[in-house]
Formats: sequence, structure tokens, C-alpha cells
Amino acid sequence: MNNLTELNSKTARRSGFRRRPGEVVFDVVNVIMFTLFMLLCVFPFYYLFINTISDNDLVVKGAITYYPIGINFSNYIALKEVSDLGNAFIVTITRTIVGTALMVVASALAGYLVTKKKLWKRSFWYRYIVITMYFNAGLIPWYMNMLMLGLTNNFMAYIIPGIVAPFNIILVKTYIESIPEELEESAFIDGASTFTIFRKIIWPLSKPILATIAIFGAVGNWNSFQDSLILMKGAPHLFTLQHRLYVYLVKVSDLETVMAGGAGTTMVLENTLNSKVVKYTIAMATIIPILLVYPFMQKHFTKGIMLGAIKG
Amino acid sequence: MNKTAIQPKGLNIAKELNTSKPSTILHGILRICSLILCLSMFFPGLNPARISNLINRNISLFTTGLSFSDLTTKFNAMFRQGAVDKSTFVLLSAASVVIIVGTVLCGIGGCMSLGNNRMKLRGIWFPIVGSLIASGGLVGIYRSYLQLQASRGAKRAQVVFPSVFYLYIGLLGLILLVSLIILLTERRLEKEDKMEMPEKYSLFLMLLPIIILAFIFLYLPLYGWRYSFFDYKAGGTLSRENFVGFKWFTILFRNPATVRDIVRVLRNTLVMSGLGILTSWVPMAFAILLNEIRSNRFKRLVQTVTTIPNFISWVLVYAIALAIFSTEGFLNSFLELFNANQNTNWLMNSDHMWTKMLLWGMWKSLGWSAIVYIAAIAGIDQELYEAAKIDGAGRFQRVWHITVPGLMPTYLVLLLLTIAGALSNGLEQYLMFQNANNKDVIEVLDLYVYNIGIDGGRIPLSTVIGMSKSLISITLLLFANRLSKFVRGEGII
Repeated sequence: MNNLTELNSKTARRSGFRRRPGEVVFDVVNVIMFTLFMLLCVFPFYYLFINTISDNDLVVKGAITYYPIGINFSNYIALKEVSDLGNAFIVTITRTIVGTALMVVASALAGYLVTKKKLWKRSFWYRYIVITMYFNAGLIPWYMNMLMLGLTNNFMAYIIPGIVAPFNIILVKTYIESIPEELEESAFIDGASTFTIFRKIIWPLSKPILATIAIFGAVGNWNSFQDSLILMKGAPHLFTLQHRLYVYLVKVSDLETVMAGGAGTTMVLENTLNSKVVKYTIAMATIIPILLVYPFMQKHFTKGIMLGAIKG
Repeated sequence: MNKTAIQPKGLNIAKELNTSKPSTILHGILRICSLILCLSMFFPGLNPARISNLINRNISLFTTGLSFSDLTTKFNAMFRQGAVDKSTFVLLSAASVVIIVGTVLCGIGGCMSLGNNRMKLRGIWFPIVGSLIASGGLVGIYRSYLQLQASRGAKRAQVVFPSVFYLYIGLLGLILLVSLIILLTERRLEKEDKMEMPEKYSLFLMLLPIIILAFIFLYLPLYGWRYSFFDYKAGGTLSRENFVGFKWFTILFRNPATVRDIVRVLRNTLVMSGLGILTSWVPMAFAILLNEIRSNRFKRLVQTVTTIPNFISWVLVYAIALAIFSTEGFLNSFLELFNANQNTNWLMNSDHMWTKMLLWGMWKSLGWSAIVYIAAIAGIDQELYEAAKIDGAGRFQRVWHITVPGLMPTYLVLLLLTIAGALSNGLEQYLMFQNANNKDVIEVLDLYVYNIGIDGGRIPLSTVIGMSKSLISITLLLFANRLSKFVRGEGII
């Protein structure tokens, strides 16, 4: 806080204005408010984390409040004994990588093609894609459609529907339009085909926006829950991580029954392992990957949201 | 490098012109038929290989050909007992593969018919060969149908003749006929440089997969609205017998229990959306206040930290809520400091549910929603501030007279979008936080549709509700758009 007041006074001096007392009070209150809100945002994660690395006996009693006691990582190691969790990790990682990659390629290609004036009925197809953002058939018709397509209890249900992302197509299209047309024209005169132009010029130049949609797509895939919940009822081995966690959090009151032996067989593991801590640990293990990529996404998301504000 | 690409545009047009009119129509028919053929390969409802009711209703022709195990899940016992011969199904699967190959050839032909004359002429062989091959596949399916009927276990296997079979015969016959006509009538071109395709069509063909996917996953669900006119039970079929017209719509207004539910759900939905609208200025205030902080490093830190919750799913938010508000959670430990610990499980408590949901939503998205405004503030002309300063405006006056009006357009657009989306609160948040105690106050429209449709299996009624919701939402959106055009001279969509 000291630092800040110092900095503030420095700027005040530089600009040649002295702050009135009312302003000083305002500034202090303002900084305190934001500090509190930041605390509110960070503390829950911190609290969850210290509970997963502390002595489990204390955690169960609710004795871990501000700092960890008896630090150990045995809970994270014990995760491998929770049945189906490994599967959920594999499913989620696969869908995140494959789904995101296909979505990015498709969005880039579609975004590029709708900028081409020569495309047959260009404005019609562009509208055809854009308009889907504004209506929604609803949950049940969507579900019946997936059922009709045979995309229930089927891993492909995670991948194929996500390939076409209208909003991302618009983002890419807007971005490509900002690339000088001369680049494309000169390549065309040099005899490059549409596909070569796309690969050699458009793709490299639109990397910033592609990175943006890739990161958002990846986070979306990682957090995906609804499709797994509704479509995978009969295929527990295809549950995503979030769905698994949901099952453990809400549906199963006693986690011991699903540990080790799978549903039905109750097996007492070590005494130190208990359902509450396991829930926290699974949650933390799901959050950590997001926190790890977060620094990389941060520089991209302002760009993404601003481009989103520009209408297609 | 393709040298022909340098050709001036005019040449391509001239080439298109030399195709005669009737052949254009024939090519059109050919393309449409091939497209239908290709699409129906992936629709379980259009599977000609479903020669028995025991074959999974949800497998398409494509799956039939590629996954033998999916095809025969219910027949393994019969194979062992010798009631049904395994070779029948091997034949069925092989025939499906043959049809798939033929279909792909027809599809290639359909694409090539978009090219220049030389390409068209070459390409016409694809649908001819393709439709012949696919017909061979149909014969194979028919033979396996006869075999299955003649087998000892015919009754147990519930043999049926798939009616889609006729569709396939019709389509393939049409394709064969049309392409033969084209082949025979098309005049030979003496000399033409190369096989090529007008650029507009080649670009279109590249976009075609995306158009098809968008159709299947974004437009086709609308076809599911038909369930609202039938008395459909999960796993059943739609037929003339269970067509009930507007029965479900009237139930919505007549059946007292349903009406009570709807009123309660609508109340929750509108209250929560209303709270969202009333607090929609908060992100703007957040951005303005943040902008008043002078240390850039602190600003960045605030932005970084407060956007984190936005990237966490509601499931994880609930895990966090559990950690903090459960009986042994943080809040109770914290209250112990003041000897106020009552050992309550705060999550099971249904008091002030609406406010709690609002606060959770805000916790998750406040920092994120503020980004738009922060960027908008950066876009305000700095000279305005300088001028105001010279005119003697104080700091708060500058905020009130420059920043706030500068943000108003952005705020209005977002507000209109929020109002247009008032009926869609989303599902996940409420699904996570719902429990037996708070169901009365937490169930919003989206959650209600999920609860009665997916969990309760009342497909038609939930379709009716979802459909009405979609229609009202789109009307609201169009209205908001009109309003915005009227007020600002610019639409929001």
C-alpha cells in the first residue's frame, strides 16, 4: 500500500496537480476495494489447495483454514486409485486436443473462404453461418438430433459437432479482412492456388487470432460438461473430467463406493483417504491445467473479446 | 503452382456459357441425388441395411459397414446356437461397404460436374460406375435379407424389410439414368486445354463440408420441434397414431400442475434475469473505478486475478462452494473466530437463493465482463480529457461527463442483448446448485426443461417449452435490434 501511495503522489507531482483530500480518500478506498475483490477471487482456490496438501485428519475436522499443516502430496498420488478417473482424464485430454485442432483448422478455412469475393453465393453462405448464432432449437431437439445421428454414447459426439463454431468463423473472417489484400493478389499473380495462398500467407498471418480461438476452444473443451452429462448416460467410460467430478460431488454421497472396486463394491482404502479430500483433490487436479495455461491465454483474451464486439 | 490460375476471369465465364440448358438441369439432378445419397449414409433413420428390428436403431449405414461388432451386438447368442448364420451378417456388412464405396464415387462425380466441360465429361463415369457398384451392394443386402428370413431364427431375429431400401433403389436408378443420358447426349468437345473448375465452385466445394456440418448440427435440430406435436415416449417412434396436434400446448395452459410449475419457473427465471439486468452496470463501474487507479502494475494485476474465475466451469465453482460453505468448510471455521459457528451447511439453505445465485454469477464473470468496458475506455479520445482539464473540470466531473457517456453505447448494446436473453439463464450453474431444499426457488426455465425432458423423459412437453422459449427469445432479440436501430441508428446483430 505504501508503495502505491508513493507512486500515486509521484504521478500527482508529475502532472502538476495536487490531489484534494477527498480524492486521496477515494483512491485509498478504491485500492482497498480492489484488493479485497482480488482476495475474494484468489482465496477460494488457495483454500481448496491447502486442503488437498494438508494432513487429512485435520482437513476432515475443518481445521485447515489459512495455511497448510503437515504438507504432503499423498492425495494426488492416491487419485490413481479412484476408478474411472484416469479414463476421464484421457477422454478430456483427447477431446481437447483433437476437438480444438479441428475447430481451428475449420474456422480458419471457413473464415478465409467467406472473405473470397469469388465464392459462389458468398453473402448467402456467410449469412447461413452467422444466423445460427441467434437461434437455438433448444436442449431437447438438440438431444433428439444427436440421438438420431447415433452420436450418443459415442466419443465422436465430442468432436464432430464442435468443428463448426460460427462465432470463431466470424472472428477469423474479421481478422483476415484486416490483412492487406495486396499480399494475396501478388501471390495470386505469381501463380499460387487458393489453397497455397491459404497455407502460405493467410494461415501464418492470422496466427494471433487462431491462437485466441484455439485457447478459448481448448478451455471450453476442458470445461465441457453438458454434452457428456446428456449424451453419455450409457457410457461411463466416456465421461469427461467435469462430468466425473459432478458425479462425485453431487450424485455420490459416499465416494468410497466408487473407489478402487468401482460402483457397488465398498473397499476401504487407507484410513487417510476419505471422500471429502478426494473430491477436493480431483477438483484441484482439474483446475491446475487451466491455471497453467492461464498466463498464455491472458494476452490473447482482450483481443478476442474486442474482436467479438465488432460485429461480423 | 497452377499456371491456369492466371487466366483472366472472362474465359471461365465463356466456358460456362457453352453448356446447354437441359444438361445443366441434368447435372443439377445428379448433384442433388449424390448429395442426398452421401448424407443418408450417416443417418441411422435412413439405413437400408437395417433388416432386423434387433439391429441397433442408432447405427447408420456407415457404422454398419465399418463396425461389425456394433451391428451384431444382439445376435451373438443366436450365432452360437446356430439359429442365424454368421455369414448372413458378414454379407450384410460387406454389402454396406460396397454401397459406401459406390456412394463416395457418386459424390466425386457430383463434385466434378461443377467443373468445365472436359471435367464434366470425365466425371460422368464416376456416378455411372458408382451407382452400379452401389446397386450391387443393394442386391447383397437383399440376399442377406432373404437368408435371414429363411434361417431358423427368423422369428426371433424380427426380420423386417427396410422401407428406405426403395429410396435407395430410386436414387441410384435416377443417378444411373441421368448420367447415362448425359453421357449419350453430351457432344464431344474437339479440343479443350485442361480439366479445371471455375474458381467460384472450387471455393464452394472447399466450404461444402462446413456447410453440411452446420446444417446437420445447427439447423437440423429445428426439425426436432416436430416432437411437440406427437405423443412421444422415449425409444418409441413418431407415427400418425400418436400425432396429437396442439395437445401439449394446451396442457401448458390447462393442466393445473403444469401451470403451477410454469408460473414458478417463469418467476425464478424472470427474477434472476431481472437481478442480472438491475446489476448490469456493475462491470462498467468496475472498469471505471479500475481506470482511476494510477499504478499500471496494480491495474494489470487486478485484471489478471479477477478474470480467473471466468475460466473455471460451474462444476468446479460448485466444488469451491462446497469447500467454503459446507459444514466443515471455511466459512464456519471463520465464524468460529467470533464464536458464531452454528455448524450449518450453507449450501443446503434455500434462503436468499436468488441473491446467492446472482453473487456467484458475479464472482465468476465480473472481471471478465469488465474487459469490454476497459477496452472501450482506452478507446475514448484523450483530448477530451485534456480539454476538460483545461476548462477546470475535476477528476470526478471528468469521469461523469466524459467516461460515462463514452461507455454508454457499449453499455446499451450489452443491456439490450441481456434483455433479449432474459429467458436463457443457462443450465449449468443452477444444475450444480440445485438440491431438494432449494428446487422451488432455483429451477429456471433451462433447468426445468432439463429436469422434465432429460431426467423425466417427458420429451414432447419439454420440447414445447423449449420451443416457446426460443421463439420468444428470437422475437425479443429482433425487437431489441429494431429498438437499437431506432435509437442509435445501428442494429445490435
